[in-house]
Amino acid sequence: MLKYIFKRILIFIPTLIAVSLLTFVISTNAPGDPVESMLNKNQGGEGQASQKLATEKAYNDLRHQLGLDLPIFYFSFTNATLTDTLYKISKGNHRNTLERLAYQYGNWKDVAAYYKAIRNFEMELYYYIPRDEKTKAAIAKAKDYTAQLYDKYSDSDITFVFSNLDYIFTSTPALKDINGPYNALKRNYDDLIHKQNILNRYIPVIHWYGFNNQYHNWITKFLVFDFGMSYQDKRPVKSVLMDALPNTLWLSVFSIILAYALAIPIGVRSAIHKGKMRERVTTSVLFMLYSLPNFWIGTMLVIYLCCGDYLCWFPAPGSDPIPDDAPFSYKFTETIYRSILPLFCWTYASLAFISRQMRGGMLGVIGQDYIRTARAKGLDEKTVVWKHAFRNSLLPIITLFANVFPYAISGSIIIEYIFQIPGMGKLTIEAIYARNYPVIFTTMMFTATLTMIGALVADILYAAVDPRISFSGKK
Amino acid sequence: MKNIFRYILNPFSRRDKGLGEYGAARKDESFWANTKRQFRKNKLAVWSLRFIYVLVFIALFADFLANEKPIACGYKGSTYFPVFRSYAVDLGLANWQSDFQNIEWSELEYDWVIYPPVPYLPKNQDEKNIHSVSPFGDQDIKSNFWRHWMGTDEIGRDVLSAMIHGTRIALLVGVVSMSISALIGIILGAMAGYFGDTRLKASRATVIVGGIFLLLGIFWGFGSRSYILRDSFAISLVSFLWEFLLSTLIMIAVFLAGRLAAKPLKRIPWFGYRINIPVDIMVSRLIEIKLSIPTLFLIISISAIVEKPSIYIVMVIIGVISWTGIARFIRAELLKVRNLEFIEAANALGFPEWRIIFKHAIPNSLSPVLIAVAFGIASAILIESTLSFLGIGVPAETLTWGSLLSAARQSPTAWWLAIFPGLAIFLTVTVFNLAGEGLTDALDPRLKK
Repeated sequence: MLKYIFKRILIFIPTLIAVSLLTFVISTNAPGDPVESMLNKNQGGEGQASQKLATEKAYNDLRHQLGLDLPIFYFSFTNATLTDTLYKISKGNHRNTLERLAYQYGNWKDVAAYYKAIRNFEMELYYYIPRDEKTKAAIAKAKDYTAQLYDKYSDSDITFVFSNLDYIFTSTPALKDINGPYNALKRNYDDLIHKQNILNRYIPVIHWYGFNNQYHNWITKFLVFDFGMSYQDKRPVKSVLMDALPNTLWLSVFSIILAYALAIPIGVRSAIHKGKMRERVTTSVLFMLYSLPNFWIGTMLVIYLCCGDYLCWFPAPGSDPIPDDAPFSYKFTETIYRSILPLFCWTYASLAFISRQMRGGMLGVIGQDYIRTARAKGLDEKTVVWKHAFRNSLLPIITLFANVFPYAISGSIIIEYIFQIPGMGKLTIEAIYARNYPVIFTTMMFTATLTMIGALVADILYAAVDPRISFSGKK
Repeated sequence: MKNIFRYILNPFSRRDKGLGEYGAARKDESFWANTKRQFRKNKLAVWSLRFIYVLVFIALFADFLANEKPIACGYKGSTYFPVFRSYAVDLGLANWQSDFQNIEWSELEYDWVIYPPVPYLPKNQDEKNIHSVSPFGDQDIKSNFWRHWMGTDEIGRDVLSAMIHGTRIALLVGVVSMSISALIGIILGAMAGYFGDTRLKASRATVIVGGIFLLLGIFWGFGSRSYILRDSFAISLVSFLWEFLLSTLIMIAVFLAGRLAAKPLKRIPWFGYRINIPVDIMVSRLIEIKLSIPTLFLIISISAIVEKPSIYIVMVIIGVISWTGIARFIRAELLKVRNLEFIEAANALGFPEWRIIFKHAIPNSLSPVLIAVAFGIASAILIESTLSFLGIGVPAETLTWGSLLSAARQSPTAWWLAIFPGLAIFLTVTVFNLAGEGLTDALDPRLKK
């Protein structure tokens, strides 16, 4: 038995690695820039060179602090148009544009020169001190256009920007001083277009980055339970999770217990009394409950029962948290009172599902010969059902146990969204909206681990219920 | 003729009256005839199937049931068929007549006109009836024909029209995503079940060279063409599908070239040595990985990273994610089937493995897949409406049942925004579940005794 458990835990490892890779791929491909959203600064065309440099420095510092300035993975598998040091360019949108340009023209050196020229010209614009209002306006416009270049990759877009810049230069003679960098930029772009080497996109290249990369750093920290920092509120992910977890745990555990406690007797009874009117009604009702979308029921309950424009039987979702210094009895009743609706929404579907499974399992068993034998022996119905049939019909229910944890988290997403409960589901949704990778990673890994533990527990329970299954000997 | 009509209406109707209600399967009865007979016993399932037909009808003819354009009209002396014309225009086969360019269809003065029963499109905003007008309340309309029978939403869109066009989206989500997951699930599940861990053998040369060429194929097919694929998606779905097909063909061609290249290598003894490929372990691991992440969670995170949300992407994501159920079913079925005599016979006749799998093994184990597909459509519809309810993955201008329901959260007094779409989701999910249930009973040999 122990050996089996140990073996199973060993199998967890590759699965967990795969899950972590999957999560990682998803989040590195997500649009949006976490550093920018954390800094929350608008970078207009206005401003002085020193200001711009300071913003950039703050950006780079934060990026370094979050470890985002490292290569993403141990290696990269790309085409030959790209250099292995692309990750060093700090802005995500710049990286994308450069990647695209390199793909179009197949010549990284020229792309890099072009990028440098844009940067040079932009800094010249920032360093330039305009003497009159007209020049100042022209400079601001030129800054805008230059900033656009960082996002443009199609030839027509870029030439359009250049024609606009040309117009500014011809209409503002005072800008003559910085004509040099501008011409250099245009020359660089010409070079880029004319020295095409498209074949490069079809040459595969593998770049090796070594162990100092984002994935490695994250996974090694994860193994010692250091989950990093949440981007949204700059708190450790651990404490964010610890705040959210109890709310979800309380609801989900209670709902699971409730569902099993109700579903098993209902399922068994409806199997024994198969065909009777009352049981048929129960079965149909359960079936309807099973197909009722819980977000619909939740929405309706919130609209009609929670102090909206209709009845006011239950507190409105998202009402003030219970004060910490309240007496225990008040806290207790208030918690129960607030949990009734979410608990109902959370439980009814799984209740229906589990009891249907129970009924199915029971029906499969009740027709067996040994049940008839038991009845023939003169055992009373109770013993026959609960001692002989029940134990053998438990197998499908136990299989379900493996799915309880992922179901709990999935369910929490909807329920907590509707009832505004600050639990794991709400946290996850908000993290996904805000591209808060550390939180997404952690919840994903957390649920994956829980699911695998659930599957393991299910297997062990299997052995406990069914003596035919044994893990020690041969199968 | 009458029989054909009856068959279309109800393929599971009782045509062979000679059979007793609980009669055992007739000897000359085919498998499917038997299944139909069993299915028909289940009244609820039969009615569900009829309801599904109604839904399919609404989905197919949504443009004729709810549309801002007239089905037929006389305008300035000539006759037009604008709804038909709109199909041709959408396909790029025709253009709008100059009279009909950039106009409000409802404001034209027709000589005569036949409107669809609901004269609105979901995108039409009735400015006179904004702020969620109740179906029973006072509506500022020309006549009762223009009435919003299910009310309007906050910006004056007709709910009934959105419901009708939402049917199309819901069914499309169910069908498309289930086709994708059936394709993936059947292939992977069949491979796992048929080959198991020991039956698929290949020489080291094939494995190594084939693996390298497969990587190259993916690189040339998808890596080198990533921008082409991305740009084509921005143009239209059709061009994307075309480019995707091209990429897949490139990948397959390179892979096949790899197999050819491996041939001479096989003469070297070390490379020629045939090793086991544990397909079953690989597929089972894949299923386990997928099962250990909550489906909704996974779908939400994937659809959140899509830059340009679209209902088609949601369909693909749901399809790609929910193949595991089908794969498990067909794997279990093939584990049984592969030991049967007719597979042995096919083997003895020297048929190639792929032919045995695709022509003999899979067709004989498809019945559980049908069940999985019926339940799968129900759950795909549920997932899609959940996503639209949360406002993830589906663009804001696409009105679906789920997004109507989420509008009810913003305007709680508008009960019609909560009741109708919720009911539609519930009924659709229920009938597909009931049909799946009926199929299970009809196909389950345990109940046939």
